[in-house]
Amino acid sequence: MMIKNALVMMAGFWSAMLWTVTACAFSVGLVTDVGVIDDKSFNQSVWEGVQAAGLNLKAKTKYIETRDAKDYSSNISLFAKNGYDVIVTVGFGLGEATRNAAAKYPEIKFIGVDQFQVSAMKNIAGLIFHEDQAGFQAGTLAALVTKSNIIASVFATDMIPPIVAFKNGFEKGARYINKDIRIISSYHPGGLDVAFTDPEWGASTARQAILQGADVIFGAGGLTGNGALVETASHKGRYCIGVDADQWLTVHSARPCLVSCALKKITPAVSGLVVMAFENRFPAGNYYGEVGLSSFHEFDKDIPEDIRKKLSVIEKELKEGRIRITE
Amino acid sequence: MTRLASILQSLMIPVLAVLLSFIIGGGLIYLSGADPFLALNGLFMGAFGDLDAFSRTLEKATPLVFNGLALTLAFKAGLFNIGVQGQFLFGAIISAAVGCYVSGLPVPVHMAVAVFSGIVAGAVYGMIQGALKAYRGAHEVITGIMLNYVAINITDYWTKGPFMDTANSNSIPRTPLILESCQIPDIWGIPSGFLIAVLVSVVLWLFLKKTVTGFEIKTMGQGIHAARYAGIKINGMMIFIMGLSGGLAGIGGAVETMGVTHRFQPGFNLGLGFEGITIALLSRIHPVGVLPAALLLGGMKAGAGMMQFSSDIPTEIIDMMMAMILLFVAADKLMTRVLPVLKKKEKGLALSAGWGSK
Amino acid sequence: MNTSAKKIVYYFISGTLILSVFISYFFNAPVTIAVLSSAIRQSTPLVLGAMCGLIGERAGVINIGIEGQMLFGAFTGFIVSIWTGNLFLAVCAGMVSGLLLGLFLGFMAVSLHVDQIIAGTVINIAAVGVCGYFYPTGLSVSNKLQAMSIPFLSDIPLIGPLFFSNSPITMVTILLVFFLQFMLFRSTWGLRTRASGEHPEAAETLGLNVYTIRYSRLMAGGALAGLAGVFLSLEAVGTFERNMVNGRGFIALAVMIFGRWTPIGSWGAALLFALTSALQTQLQFSDTLHIPHQFTGMLPYLMTVFVIAVFMKRNNPPEALGMPFEKD
Repeated sequence: MMIKNALVMMAGFWSAMLWTVTACAFSVGLVTDVGVIDDKSFNQSVWEGVQAAGLNLKAKTKYIETRDAKDYSSNISLFAKNGYDVIVTVGFGLGEATRNAAAKYPEIKFIGVDQFQVSAMKNIAGLIFHEDQAGFQAGTLAALVTKSNIIASVFATDMIPPIVAFKNGFEKGARYINKDIRIISSYHPGGLDVAFTDPEWGASTARQAILQGADVIFGAGGLTGNGALVETASHKGRYCIGVDADQWLTVHSARPCLVSCALKKITPAVSGLVVMAFENRFPAGNYYGEVGLSSFHEFDKDIPEDIRKKLSVIEKELKEGRIRITE
Repeated sequence: MTRLASILQSLMIPVLAVLLSFIIGGGLIYLSGADPFLALNGLFMGAFGDLDAFSRTLEKATPLVFNGLALTLAFKAGLFNIGVQGQFLFGAIISAAVGCYVSGLPVPVHMAVAVFSGIVAGAVYGMIQGALKAYRGAHEVITGIMLNYVAINITDYWTKGPFMDTANSNSIPRTPLILESCQIPDIWGIPSGFLIAVLVSVVLWLFLKKTVTGFEIKTMGQGIHAARYAGIKINGMMIFIMGLSGGLAGIGGAVETMGVTHRFQPGFNLGLGFEGITIALLSRIHPVGVLPAALLLGGMKAGAGMMQFSSDIPTEIIDMMMAMILLFVAADKLMTRVLPVLKKKEKGLALSAGWGSK
Repeated sequence: MNTSAKKIVYYFISGTLILSVFISYFFNAPVTIAVLSSAIRQSTPLVLGAMCGLIGERAGVINIGIEGQMLFGAFTGFIVSIWTGNLFLAVCAGMVSGLLLGLFLGFMAVSLHVDQIIAGTVINIAAVGVCGYFYPTGLSVSNKLQAMSIPFLSDIPLIGPLFFSNSPITMVTILLVFFLQFMLFRSTWGLRTRASGEHPEAAETLGLNVYTIRYSRLMAGGALAGLAGVFLSLEAVGTFERNMVNGRGFIALAVMIFGRWTPIGSWGAALLFALTSALQTQLQFSDTLHIPHQFTGMLPYLMTVFVIAVFMKRNNPPEALGMPFEKD
């Protein structure tokens, strides 16, 4: 009996606390895909966007790391049931769960990162990116700075459409500059449980590519890609290109080689969308975030003017649709 | 009455183990600056707080029961079926394929066919290991570990290739949803997959206890030499046991597909095989003991999200508590020393005897 | 097959392998070196893990907690490297943490007579929990051990770049393989180890203390697993991630059985596995072949199953493996 009373009291206390949360402030929740919040690329960028918006709007922010893909819906509904105003879900894997939740909770606004919306629902914004364009620019940069005419790329897995788009863009971009360039690329051999979290595989694959002459390495795929970047950093005179976020700021040990990153400008896009939700001008349907190359940081002086010019022309042509990337 | 007393006595250690682990876990939470009551309350509410939570606990427990049973059966015969993960995946994907690409069958028939093909898929994959061990002396632990990776890659390829859902310009590698005639329904909000799991575990318990084959399996667990001396045909038996064990994992995969995920999607079923090991060990290799063990772990997995939500505690605290529970349950020598009330009667568990079998 | 026929088959296969290495070196030296050195690198954590397992198993204790010991070693090494900035200290700390887990395994398996499979599983789960729970988010800066070249030796073609121009742990590991092989089969230390794994009762009557032997061997093995973890966090990658071991501890277990509980055998098995793994990457690198990576990715695993199924008929595990030893 006492235990039961205690439980009731605890539950009461708990819901009271939640009630205060809901009553006081605008609140934003984030549900990650299976993985960690500080992956130094994808999840982290989204979380930074949420935090930036939270700071801006004095909103409450909170995240849940998904442990099991079957928990997508229940993690989303934890936020929904507790009256959060905006729920950000990260990764295309959560697309279905997000749409179901949006139908169930029409008053809550959902931001689905990397979730293409086949048909628009008024309370979901699918934040998507032209990864192939980002990859294309990375590919052109790689082809422009290589001396050996061999470039390499280390990808996580072809089970994730954005990664496939990066690969396609990267190869098309490199060939756009130099038809005969040699591109050696490789996917992680394992399943989804390890493909993004195997830095040692990324590193040893990058090394294998470097030893056979590759001098620019593009690493795209969470921690696996980061491993490739860090490995490249310990080989003199090689460049590496990061992905998603400006990894100059997150993967410090890659700085000796990190010439640029193929950016999905996730952080500004997410914080922008949260602000739009707050101001009641939420865009339904697909919302395209910007892509591009990050700044060259310390490699600024190594990149000659003519390369810069070429890159900016290509960026412009991609935006205007004059360069089309075929599948 | 004495029987009841002895059952109660044997329940004492697990219950104390759980309590002790929660106390230590709470202490750790306190030390890291959070409120342990808030966190553990979140864990409890997320697992058993309402019907919704409870049914998620059952959903999570169901595959753990099947995988735990698969390992239990193999352990009984002195085999370490570490390949459960692969067998589970095959069961899941084949039943998904049957569930969405075979149509026009009446509900019970469609379900039966899907479950049966899941069983066969898991059993065949298990029998490969059994045959390699029986005829080539290949250690089942090596082949199991290797075939797990192979299974992940094959199922990945299938979901991207022949079985991929291409409706609505879908670009995500996964199978289509299975037809409604193949979905296991919930009964009053209770996932009926769990009821199947309970049924199977009781049947397995009776099978091991009452049948001649069950006796032979346990004889094999005493050692290959003893079994050979008793006239058991070792090779055939090994293949049979690994097949049966794989079949159990296969039902797990089928029930998971038909009752919970309703399709096969890569990444949705990973890690369940290794959790099956934990469950089997926690149950002290008892088919019915698997049920509470799976409920415990399932509940902790179901409550993890709410715990992190309510107290910002990293969910890995659950792994630490699980390790402690397993240790305290297994270390009865330690427990009886600390609490002399729990006089030790039975012999300690020794299931690793089959490891070094030649 | 009788023994001499078997030997001929082994010689033939290894001869073909070595010959093909030379032929491919002749035609394409950089690619050959790239693949082989990738194989050596990938084999390092596997063979260290396998040696951890086999020291314990030779003494009679199954260790399926290698995965956890590696993870914990990687974690501790990384944390100490952040705190002190001293890589040598960090490597030592990683090894010590593995050693402590070995001690813990000994406490469970030897003193408490917990079933050894359970004891190892406890370590695996606990390591995931501890490393995840105490992992300080946002740390990424760490030094890593850099490759070095041994003068003169590293100038030998093929052999030099493969063996004498490597990162320190990789080179030390190769030495350790031969050292441990010698210790196990040619020294009293090894004799005692094997006695306690084969006939603990007899060992005890000869005045040996089986408990002490098992404890110390598990600790020594734990240190090696810790080194494998440190290899991942401080030599290969230079940072720690919560699931960076990614099943390598279990592969190491398979490698140990495959190598028939001997260091050199395990090294061979690990090299074969890692070589196939490097070859599958190389297959993906080739732009003319378009095999889905799911298939090339299976090669190392299928290769292992194939080799043990075709060429190995018997395992020779220690007699008393898995049996708790009860003193009278």
